[in-house]
Amino acid sequence: MTLHLQTEEKQPLSREEILHPHRTLENSKVRTEDFDAWYGNNQVLKKLNIEVREHSVTAIIGPSGCGKSTLIRCLNRMHELVSRARTSGRVMLDGSDIYAKGVDPVTIRRRVGMVFQKPNPFPTMSVYDNVAAGLRLNGERNHSVLDRAVQQSLELAFLWDEVKGDLDKSGASLSGGQQQRLCIARALAVEPEVILMDEPCSALDPIATAKIEELIASIKGNYTVVIVTHNMQQAARVSDFTAFLYLGQLIEYGETTSLFENPVEELTERYLTGKFG
Amino acid sequence: MPRLMDMGLEKLRNMVLDMAELSQNTVSTSIDAYVQGRDLRDRIYSWSEELRMLQDEVSELAVELIARYQPVASDLRFIKSCMEVAYGFSRFGRYAHDISDVIGIFGDLSSCDRQSVKEAGSQAKDMIRLSIKAFTERDVELAGRLKKMDDVVDNIYLDFVKKSAHEREGNLKCVVSGTLILRYLERIADHATYVGETVPYIVSGERSARK
Repeated sequence: MTLHLQTEEKQPLSREEILHPHRTLENSKVRTEDFDAWYGNNQVLKKLNIEVREHSVTAIIGPSGCGKSTLIRCLNRMHELVSRARTSGRVMLDGSDIYAKGVDPVTIRRRVGMVFQKPNPFPTMSVYDNVAAGLRLNGERNHSVLDRAVQQSLELAFLWDEVKGDLDKSGASLSGGQQQRLCIARALAVEPEVILMDEPCSALDPIATAKIEELIASIKGNYTVVIVTHNMQQAARVSDFTAFLYLGQLIEYGETTSLFENPVEELTERYLTGKFG
Repeated sequence: MPRLMDMGLEKLRNMVLDMAELSQNTVSTSIDAYVQGRDLRDRIYSWSEELRMLQDEVSELAVELIARYQPVASDLRFIKSCMEVAYGFSRFGRYAHDISDVIGIFGDLSSCDRQSVKEAGSQAKDMIRLSIKAFTERDVELAGRLKKMDDVVDNIYLDFVKKSAHEREGNLKCVVSGTLILRYLERIADHATYVGETVPYIVSGERSARK
């Protein structure tokens, strides 16, 4: 029966609020401000303004060449390691510009870890040493501290039960999925605040992929995760927020559920539904 | 280049349109049968069963499309809406069957004043036709008209009930049968409104608050 109940009229969201809901978010961990990036004369990011919420998973999606990987490589100053690469604008980490004069990029990379597309454990090191490497580089020598950190990191990466009897084995002897989780354990061991993942599952089978996705879900309470993925279903599964990039520009950014069900921009709609190009 | 999913979406659309046609005929026949005093329960029951089975088929195809193609955005909204609309059409069949049952239970109702049922029935039929047209043509403006039409049916039903409650003298058989049929028509009108509500959702993702 639909007769007498009055419904409260809600004020409709403005276009700006729909397109950029992140601007209303609190607890932003990372924020880019009018950020540009170039490789030589080729501008790959254009006036990018994006805000990453703390303790959430943010997915970056978009077609090849749209600047996804460049964006996350800028978030921990790895972009500048490429010759002729440069940037302008600001990347704020907890409110401080990581590109400000005098900021040590190594310190930034310690706070903002990276996991790459292809698992890249140090091939000559054991499983244990792979995880402990970062801590040793930071000067940690205490065996019990190292033991505890290695175990904790491997547990967080859902790998401990599989390798606890083989910590002396070479990291390269593990399966592809295990190697990738080892790399995540290695990144977690130095206790970063943000973890950037560049297509972390693209070389993995569905079972290994599912484990990485479960891992991402389990760590987001303590870390801020930004993941670049070509797999839109993966973005839909793992992320809380999704950003769609096209030709170096941020086309749309919003809560994942809303963006996947009801994208505001026609370009996003076409990309998501495969009616692109 | 057509996408793999497009063939499935087309099939889903055709199934829903088949249901639309059948449900419209079923409701129309049941209302006309009441007005003409004809007992068409068997025919209407078989159509309503067919609608129920078609609804199951729509759900199965929708789930298959979701499982195989992981649709998003307008594709996802369309599939979700097809499931809702198919449910609405199946309810049309069920209420049409309930209307036809009234004649079976109460027998000859030719002495009853059937004006209210005629009015509400005509309005409900128009609403079904309009909701199907709005859904088929994705016409948001047309779909928007349904809410006001629904109010008309609601009011006919409420007026009848109120009038019956205060009438001391009256044919109980006419009052009860009239109340039942108007109640079924009122629910049919609600479901036609729900069908209409899927149109803005499919087109732009807009969800209207349901009263």
